[in-house]
Amino acid sequence: MSASLQKGLSVLMEVIDAPVASFFSSCVHCGLCAEACLFYTETGDPKYTPIYKLEPLRRVYQQEYTLTGRLAKMLGLSKPVTDQELEIWQPLVYDSCTLCGRCSMACPVGNDIVYMVRRLREGMAVAGHAPDGLVDASRRSLETGSPMGVRLPALMAQIKHVQADTGIEIPLDVTGAEYMVLMSSMEIINFPEYLGAVSKIMKQAGKSWTLCSEAFEATNSGVQIGVSDIAKVLVGRIVDGAEKLRVKTVISPECGHAYTALRWDGPNLIGRPYTFDVLHILEVLDIFRLEGLLKTSGFEDAQLTFHDPCQLVRRGGVLDQPRNLLKMVASNYVETRDSGKMNWCCGGGGGVSTIDEAEALRFAAFRVKKAQLEETGAKTLVTACANCRIVLEEALEHYQMKIDVIGLTELLAQHID
Amino acid sequence: MTAHESLGERLIQQGISRRAFLKFCTAMASMMALPPGSAMAIADALSKTLRPSVIWLSFQECTACTESLTRSYSPTLESLIFEMISLDYHHTLQAAAGFSAEKSREDAMHNAYGKYLLVVDGAIPIKDGGIYSTIAGRTNLDLLQEVAKGAAAIIAVGTCASFGGIPNAKPNPTGAVAVSDIIKDKAIVNISGCPPIPAVITGVLAHYLTFGELPELDDLGRPKSFYGETIHDRCYRRPFYDQGKFAKTFDDEGARNGWCLFELGCKGPTTHNACATTKWNGGTSFPIESGHGCLGCSEPNFWDAGSFYSALSMPAGALKLGTAAAVAGVAVGAAVSVANRAKKQAAQSAHRTATIADLKE
Repeated sequence: MSASLQKGLSVLMEVIDAPVASFFSSCVHCGLCAEACLFYTETGDPKYTPIYKLEPLRRVYQQEYTLTGRLAKMLGLSKPVTDQELEIWQPLVYDSCTLCGRCSMACPVGNDIVYMVRRLREGMAVAGHAPDGLVDASRRSLETGSPMGVRLPALMAQIKHVQADTGIEIPLDVTGAEYMVLMSSMEIINFPEYLGAVSKIMKQAGKSWTLCSEAFEATNSGVQIGVSDIAKVLVGRIVDGAEKLRVKTVISPECGHAYTALRWDGPNLIGRPYTFDVLHILEVLDIFRLEGLLKTSGFEDAQLTFHDPCQLVRRGGVLDQPRNLLKMVASNYVETRDSGKMNWCCGGGGGVSTIDEAEALRFAAFRVKKAQLEETGAKTLVTACANCRIVLEEALEHYQMKIDVIGLTELLAQHID
Repeated sequence: MTAHESLGERLIQQGISRRAFLKFCTAMASMMALPPGSAMAIADALSKTLRPSVIWLSFQECTACTESLTRSYSPTLESLIFEMISLDYHHTLQAAAGFSAEKSREDAMHNAYGKYLLVVDGAIPIKDGGIYSTIAGRTNLDLLQEVAKGAAAIIAVGTCASFGGIPNAKPNPTGAVAVSDIIKDKAIVNISGCPPIPAVITGVLAHYLTFGELPELDDLGRPKSFYGETIHDRCYRRPFYDQGKFAKTFDDEGARNGWCLFELGCKGPTTHNACATTKWNGGTSFPIESGHGCLGCSEPNFWDAGSFYSALSMPAGALKLGTAAAVAGVAVGAAVSVANRAKKQAAQSAHRTATIADLKE
């Protein structure tokens, strides 16, 4: 089997559903989504208008599923979608869309534009027009269990280091634990402090938890590249692990799209409800706070600000939790302009951070984030997504801005005795 | 009257209390939909301002515009208009006649060239060189062009000056046109209406004196604050329209119950004016309240827009084609839907699980 235009078009016909049809037929062509997209605002190039990125999907919808479109097609009056065209569209559908969902919020008729981008990617991928970086990440995910090729021995090594640092044992494969904790490869390789922080917090809260040796990776390249069949395999591994260990709640790590994949897409992908709950680590921590199980001491006095990961705040509704938690440990917390629901993306979500060709555009798009940060004057930036964190750190380095980036869970753990 | 007194001084001389003056300013602010604080700004500006020289030219008109302003219930806030301005030429109102009347106009023009306000009521005939209406031997056209040259702004009072009005109605034997058809290089405010509401004239002057500029205008050059909504939008009979309760004759039960006059030809839905809110004769009532539909007098060509008594539009009869069209529509919709479902199902059944190998050519 190999990719082909025919397969791509067939998949597009398959993924056009009632929401997509109603979105296309209710679009009023106002162009307000352009101003919502950081790739448009920072480049001024109208091709980055979100609804325009969907042009191939719109044409398939129009030609295959509308009366006038069908008639026009029959009479040979419509322009079929070509392979060349999809190739031209690849940078619009992948490089310049982080699936951040800001356009969906801006649309005055309520069209979920990002929902449609996700569907267009289904067709683009099997037509052979997904970026190499994302294809490779997906391959590694399927073959090794992690988009970065992190296997169990690597995790075991990090567990050993973290245990040595904190003196707290990290449980593995404990059947019947209340919480199953997932990691993202990024955390295992770059930010193992997260694991230490979780173990400190769980110990203080007196909760039983475990890692799962067969399902520790939370990220899902399938969702990013837009191939549900792959996303389903990856989510299935977590579901199998969680059900085998009979845990009550699976905790999504500080990773935006992992949370979306697991919490919102997952049950639809596997076609049934889970037997366990899924919460983001910040939701769990906020519950601990409310129950008095999270006790911190001391405050960060330096000014700090928070970057809302798109998948958490906009697509996931985790808005108040990080603020409640920050107030426990930060005396000088400031919001950026447009923070919360309309926060600007770091520029690297939705798989964009894995696309090498997109790097220059990603740095250009970061200017809006740069301006947001400069306005606050904060020297510390807290976030809750390892992908955001690495993208932010790279871009801050690129623009030579002296701002430290730290995960919120880690920050909280620093204030636990 | 001299132009060198401020309005504040003038009011004191006339024995008008500060309280009455503030009431006037508040009413003006609210009528023009200005923020509440601006009443004081108006009061402040008006009491300090030097009364501007105003030249009032009357052409093809019936004097109702002047009557509207001067005969409004007395004492009214509108009467203050004459305290706000120095009316230096108005041939209906002035005592002078003949050469001395024309001299007062020339003096006023000379003394305040570039600063005076020009008020015009009446249309201007331009056919045959404009000979159909002359004053002191000069055509209206000639006079308007001369006086407009030195005006800071022009206020066209009434529908004739604003849009041509009744003189302009078919067959328009004198070739009557509006001020804006002749003067193209000056700011013109159209205060249309046959006659216009006195408070609207006052309001525009108060706005000009307070802010030094004309108010925001609509596409027909009328101040939006007064002409922004239709009579229908603000009509107290609107609920009956919404319920479909219409008077069918002027003496049926519906008419006696005060139902909507739409079917009797009321032009309220297409007429922009403030009658329904400011009302007439000291707030007593307005035409619809007196039982007659709106004639649409503040709109262009109102005289030629068909009978005052035929409805703007009437619902089509029973939906004769409706049922057939609906059935056909449903059938086409159902057919497309069935075809779409089949197509989508075919695509779904053709689905082969995608693997990494499927992502590369």
